[in-house]
Amino acid sequence: MRGFAKLLVLGVVVLGLVVPCYAANITIKGSTTVLPIAQAAAEKFMKDNSGVDISVQGGGSSVGIASIVDKTCDIADASRPIKDSELVTAANNGVDPVAHVVAMDGIAVIVNPSNGISALSIKQIKDIYTGKVSDWTELGAGSGKIVVISRDTSSGTYEAFNGLALDGAKVRPDALLQASNQAVASAVSRTPGAIGYVGLAYVSASVKALTVNGITCSKETVLNNSYPIGRPLFMYTNGKPVGAIKEFIDFVKSKEGQQLVEDQGFVGLR
Amino acid sequence: MKKFVILALFVCLATMGPTVMNIYAGEVDILLEKLVDKGVLTYGEAQEIKTETKEQVRKEIAAGESDAVPKWVQNIKFKGDLRLRYQSNHNKTVANQTSERHRGRIRARLGAEAKVNDKLKVGLGLATGLDDQNQSDPDDKDTIRSTNQSFDSSFAKKPFNLDYAFAQYTPYSWLMLTGGKMKLDAAVWEPGDLMWDTDITPEGIAIDLVKKLEGKNNLFLKTGFYVLEESSSSGDDPWLVHIQPGVNYGLADGISAKAALTLDYFAVGSTGNLNGSSGTNSWSSGDLAAPKKDVVNIMPALEVKFSEPFRGLGISLLDIPVLKLFAEYVKNMNDSKPDDNKTGFMLGCKFGADKVKRWGDWQAKYNYAMLGKDAVLDILPDSDRYSGGTAIRAHEFAISYGLGENTELGFDVYRSKRIGMAEAPETIVQVDWLLKF
Repeated sequence: MRGFAKLLVLGVVVLGLVVPCYAANITIKGSTTVLPIAQAAAEKFMKDNSGVDISVQGGGSSVGIASIVDKTCDIADASRPIKDSELVTAANNGVDPVAHVVAMDGIAVIVNPSNGISALSIKQIKDIYTGKVSDWTELGAGSGKIVVISRDTSSGTYEAFNGLALDGAKVRPDALLQASNQAVASAVSRTPGAIGYVGLAYVSASVKALTVNGITCSKETVLNNSYPIGRPLFMYTNGKPVGAIKEFIDFVKSKEGQQLVEDQGFVGLR
Repeated sequence: MKKFVILALFVCLATMGPTVMNIYAGEVDILLEKLVDKGVLTYGEAQEIKTETKEQVRKEIAAGESDAVPKWVQNIKFKGDLRLRYQSNHNKTVANQTSERHRGRIRARLGAEAKVNDKLKVGLGLATGLDDQNQSDPDDKDTIRSTNQSFDSSFAKKPFNLDYAFAQYTPYSWLMLTGGKMKLDAAVWEPGDLMWDTDITPEGIAIDLVKKLEGKNNLFLKTGFYVLEESSSSGDDPWLVHIQPGVNYGLADGISAKAALTLDYFAVGSTGNLNGSSGTNSWSSGDLAAPKKDVVNIMPALEVKFSEPFRGLGISLLDIPVLKLFAEYVKNMNDSKPDDNKTGFMLGCKFGADKVKRWGDWQAKYNYAMLGKDAVLDILPDSDRYSGGTAIRAHEFAISYGLGENTELGFDVYRSKRIGMAEAPETIVQVDWLLKF
């Protein structure tokens, strides 16, 4: 009996060591682009780690980074790098933002499927978004006013598109602003003559993705940098992560986590 | 594998010695490409290493802690600008005669800000302009305030003087102390330039307090003690105490306001004319019936900013990123003369880009100013508005257009007249080419 009791205690101890058992709350805020990755990863991680509660919210990359700088979240999702001004604010607040690249993404330029056009150059995209070109006939693609759809300025997708495709130029004032990738895709799919830009994961049969400078937006072209509007996706932590946060970040970067990334339509790193 | 690669990178850097620690991003890219080609890394792993390394270096540089960049580069920031100006003055005298003056002018400024430690920084700046020992040009009463130099005197070399030199201590995020000869915005906030020429760099000590409210709203208090003059033969030197409480407040989405109520006490009553006086105050113009008294200014000021006010109308002509409206009023409370003499005001607007940064950006402004004879000390006002004097009313219209990154073309017109005497109107036209670095 005593031998059995010892064996039982040993078994419990071994189980306790082998089975990760955290009691922790993790708050994730930020990019609507990274949101599906964070949600899918959180769901799987919580399933495998009872006792860990993860809440995931969107709001945009700027909201996420501001939250990590203000210490009101544990992980900031961002589809753009942290800005120098945000780094200074973080340093002043005693926050050490550490970047973790969790996926790659291409920003696809999409049009309504009824549009005959299939390719644009970066210059043409810039001309459309800055107001120099306003009608599809100017591009030899049928007729009709170009309905330009963009994202609000708190969006990391907007920041990346503005930097990579528009050289920082101001978007035309009559552009229709949408609050998320999904909203842009929906608007383009409903509006003949519309043009927008979304993360690769949001390209579906209801929209048509154009080639940019002759390059199709795909996993291969994003990873080898040949697609001109590609970008890394980040999760930022305050300092090197420890405990449950570290386990979560490691999970996202693991083979299993990167499969979830690919399932969501993004470009995995493995 | 990734950890091995990172270790290998650091070993390579360490063996190459500290002088080669300053490895450039391009070289890291080449190394990673080679590792991908050889199948050591996947494309994804290479992207991950490249991006995370770059972010870490950026963060260290922002904090001044990077070993990849020399410390002095991280801790000192240099900047400057060069402005080439054509200026024409057209004056009509009291006797209705006209006079014209045309000048090529130059302004050069060079500044550095160095981080002493996390809470302390030093600023040093040099600028063209005559120093306070050389006021011999009777046509340029404004030179003590101005950083411009005219092309003249047979290609003579131009003075390049100390424009500012200050130490700034920020022990807490809500408190900043500045001492020395400082930039104007460290001492004073003014939406226009009714009272203070923007080239003035006050000398003394300034205290800046900020109390954060909800969101981006805050209360602020700018206060300071400044020395106007120092006399070796008297202990009764003129000075200024400045107290300026104010508020920054978001009124609605895209609309914000900044307001302040300023009290300035200029203890000048017991001294003679101050250096740089335009000679337009009653006491400095030789009016013996106007004894000099201390000047006590009250100045309420308000600026309202509208971001993209006409967005949604779809009219490209009205595509204005920013519209600012401002108003200032000043009164000399220690003067018993009628209001025309002791008050002043400015109404104005600025619209266009918030800052002209690149090709195609533009900004325009218009203001109307009236400044009574004894409203403010005549050592302070904008030197382009009737040579920096008081007893004037003036219109100003200016436009700047971006010619590219850090360079812009400017066009500025002043139309000024005297008040309380023969008008003697003056029109000044300035065409500027500004280059910043």
